[in-house]
Amino acid sequence: MDTFSPLKAAPLSRRAGTRDTIEVVLNVNGRNHRLAVDPRVTLLDALREHLGLTGSKKGCDQGQCGACTIHVDGRRVLSCLTLVAMVEGKAVTTIEGLAPEEGGLHPMQQAFLDHDAFQCGYCTPGQIMSAVACVREGLATTDDDIREYMSGNLCRCAAYPNIVEAIKQARAEMEEQP
Amino acid sequence: MNAPTTFDGGMIGRPTPRIDGRLKVTGTACYPSDFPLEDTAYAYLVTSAIARGRIKAIHLEEAQQVEGVLDILTYENTKGKVRKVRAFSGGGYTSTTIMPMDSPKVWHDGQIVAVVVAETYEAAREAAHKVHVEYDERKPKPGFDKRRPQPRQISNPLSSSDPQTGDAETAFQHADVKVEAYYTTPTQHHNPIELFTTTCTWSGDQLTIYEPSQFVHGLKNGVAKQLNMNPEKVRVISPFVGGAFGSKAALTPRTAFVALAAKRLNRPVKLVPTRSQSFDVSTYRAETQHLVKLGADRNGRLTSLHHEGWEVSSRPDNYKVAGTETTSLLYACPNIYTKVHIVHADRNTPGFMRSPAEVPYVYALESAMDELATALGMDPVELRRINDTMVNPIDQKPYSSRALMACYDRAAEAFGWSKRNPEPGSMHDGDWLIGWGCATACYPTNVAPAQARVTLAPNGRARVQTAGHDIGTGAYTAIALTAADRLGVPLENVNVELGDSSLPPAPVAGGSNATASICNAVAMACDEIRERLAQGAVHADGQLAGADPGDLRLSQGKLVAPDGKSEPLKEAIMRLGFGPVEAHAKYTPEIASAPVKLMGHKLIEGGISAMTSGSSVKDHVQYAFGAEFVEVRIHKRTREIRVPRIVGAFAAGRIVSPTTARSQLLGGLIWGVASALHEATEIDERVARYVNDDLAEYLIPVCADIKDVEVIFVPEEDHQVNALGIKGLGELGNVGTNAAVANAVYHATGRRIRDLPIRIEDLL
Repeated sequence: MDTFSPLKAAPLSRRAGTRDTIEVVLNVNGRNHRLAVDPRVTLLDALREHLGLTGSKKGCDQGQCGACTIHVDGRRVLSCLTLVAMVEGKAVTTIEGLAPEEGGLHPMQQAFLDHDAFQCGYCTPGQIMSAVACVREGLATTDDDIREYMSGNLCRCAAYPNIVEAIKQARAEMEEQP
Repeated sequence: MNAPTTFDGGMIGRPTPRIDGRLKVTGTACYPSDFPLEDTAYAYLVTSAIARGRIKAIHLEEAQQVEGVLDILTYENTKGKVRKVRAFSGGGYTSTTIMPMDSPKVWHDGQIVAVVVAETYEAAREAAHKVHVEYDERKPKPGFDKRRPQPRQISNPLSSSDPQTGDAETAFQHADVKVEAYYTTPTQHHNPIELFTTTCTWSGDQLTIYEPSQFVHGLKNGVAKQLNMNPEKVRVISPFVGGAFGSKAALTPRTAFVALAAKRLNRPVKLVPTRSQSFDVSTYRAETQHLVKLGADRNGRLTSLHHEGWEVSSRPDNYKVAGTETTSLLYACPNIYTKVHIVHADRNTPGFMRSPAEVPYVYALESAMDELATALGMDPVELRRINDTMVNPIDQKPYSSRALMACYDRAAEAFGWSKRNPEPGSMHDGDWLIGWGCATACYPTNVAPAQARVTLAPNGRARVQTAGHDIGTGAYTAIALTAADRLGVPLENVNVELGDSSLPPAPVAGGSNATASICNAVAMACDEIRERLAQGAVHADGQLAGADPGDLRLSQGKLVAPDGKSEPLKEAIMRLGFGPVEAHAKYTPEIASAPVKLMGHKLIEGGISAMTSGSSVKDHVQYAFGAEFVEVRIHKRTREIRVPRIVGAFAAGRIVSPTTARSQLLGGLIWGVASALHEATEIDERVARYVNDDLAEYLIPVCADIKDVEVIFVPEEDHQVNALGIKGLGELGNVGTNAAVANAVYHATGRRIRDLPIRIEDLL
């Protein structure tokens, strides 16, 4: 991942007609973006509406469903409960930046695919971001622990048994290649 | 198309990862609110704070002063701009006939009263909170009356549409063993994780709508009618849908207003309602009450079945799910009385939610069957076996196939049912009481006219286009498997396009009809391609000259004769002219009535799904079946309820895509547990308002609530249902689980809870 550098930021994106904007440099998936936005803009809306990174989903906008889960400095964060101004100087990773290489899949993505760990797919980016952090944090040790630590991500299609199986497959691979 | 078909290549029924899975795990699947549109303005809804009354005044001054506000729609500037169209349940398009912003009248809490549009989402939201509405409020009726409804015998049952036969009341009075009880189910909301978003953009007189939809052709034609436009000027784009469960089937009031706002501003307008607003923007499963009376002889044979249901609807609409159509044909019984009543209230119009009719009604009947088994001292599985039937007891029409008892036997064996001690409260594990329960699942096999265009290129790549929908069901995969099978090409060669009203029309993704309807259309188109290639080959000078074209098959990239002679696909296609070969098929269900056979495609082209229900076929009935077994554990002191184990066995005809079908049933079983133990929309009865209108307080299962779930497919062949032998199953899984859980709770505790959901406080 690139180190944070405002100098590498893309041109300023600004929405006209709004009051007092703030300027933020956002490091997302190793790229810097300069934004001038309403200070009330959440990280989720900044990603979706200003940067065109629509992989992170809005399901409740109040921290209840987990569909917007992303990583900030490697920790899972609900982007709908985070104002964009709060993550300046931090490294944001979204589902679009999870795979180690362009066009490839992270072991967790592959495992979700292998185990059909989703149906409609809408909660899936958030599930995968949570699952990756869950394994990295060493919390995915037993099936019961996986179920407990993944309970902040709602899946209305109820793919839960498949999600647990997917995480177990990816855990083995992630532990081999940390 | 009517003869049983042999499948060369055997792609149908092959387990495979879903073909759209890669897009979903990488965040690149484009849901309707993900499309980037230049210069988008943002809409925010203002919804009614009262459930019944009138708007006296709307004060916009403060809202208009918010910087960035562009426009505010209220009834004062939209009145008469949206035309009334018929409701979906009445053969039209809309979820409700209530017309928000057409007058100052308020029909229900959360009704749209204004739409604020601004440069940014934040400005629109701020301004929406500064719209001040003065109401003239009247006391609303929130739902059912407090006291139990009284049974009402109808004087002339012959004139009724409610299924009835014999004399249920007299038979009940003379029955050896009887049970009689009321059951209730609560208000529920679908709560797909994707919100009810709508983005509209105009290019001249052409309107494009990005909205998650289970029926893009319905949405297109409905909006066109509302806005008095030529339907060909409206396009709906919805390639991925983030969960629907019925909530995105019919056109809701919001869409026309977003279209109007976009027209007024001449720029794209995007609406993302809040989760709380989503409880009123679309529909819900209404609360129901049931009176079930069962009479049986000493051997357990049913002699009388009485099922009366009461359902809540809105003031203007007679929406009902009327599940007695199913509960009256489930078991052999000579005397059946059913009746469905509608109770009007100051609420939004309810709508389809996964297995709309079967979930509440089969819950009531299957609970009563368990009570009857207890009264008889009989095993509940054996009670079902004794009353199993191969005909509809109302009119003696045969089932096209019915493997209910095979399902029971497979599931019972996998579950270990023979080890059950039938005595309630007799099974323990430490501090936990254990209860085992079971119930029947069933769902009608519905089929509708559908169209598909299939293109096969000389390089062996196929393209399937149909305006069907993958709402998580696996439709992309099932359709691709069907085409790969029929065209004899690898699965990865098949590209499927769905969810766009510019594609050939397909029916609503509802009623579990889509796989059957669309895959039959796709197979027809593929067969037409095969036929054209075969005709070309037998009349040319190649290897296949003189062969019987009907004998030729497409297999492994070749056109093959039974004697093994073949020619490459490329040769066969190039012979017909330059470029790919294309076929557009119009499938009409074999079981359709004469008017649907005549008019079905005209209807679907106009956005009306001419679905034939499995319970209304002329000379038989067609249903999928399942048997569902649940273990509950109830803590002896805290009364915490857990469900560590679920087993379901299902017979649903040909399974096209086993991987995604299993996920459908898995999710369905968990939905049933949710419905039995978690879900209920609570209503503040003083003001007829939903109070737990968010995902923290509207309980749905989380990962920690669910442990082992086993899905068993019971093989079944049935070519009466449709040529491919497909029965739907998306709505089968969650039908029996409600009763299975309640029956298991009884077995664990000896307490019969008849009002769902069952919660700790019911068991203290």
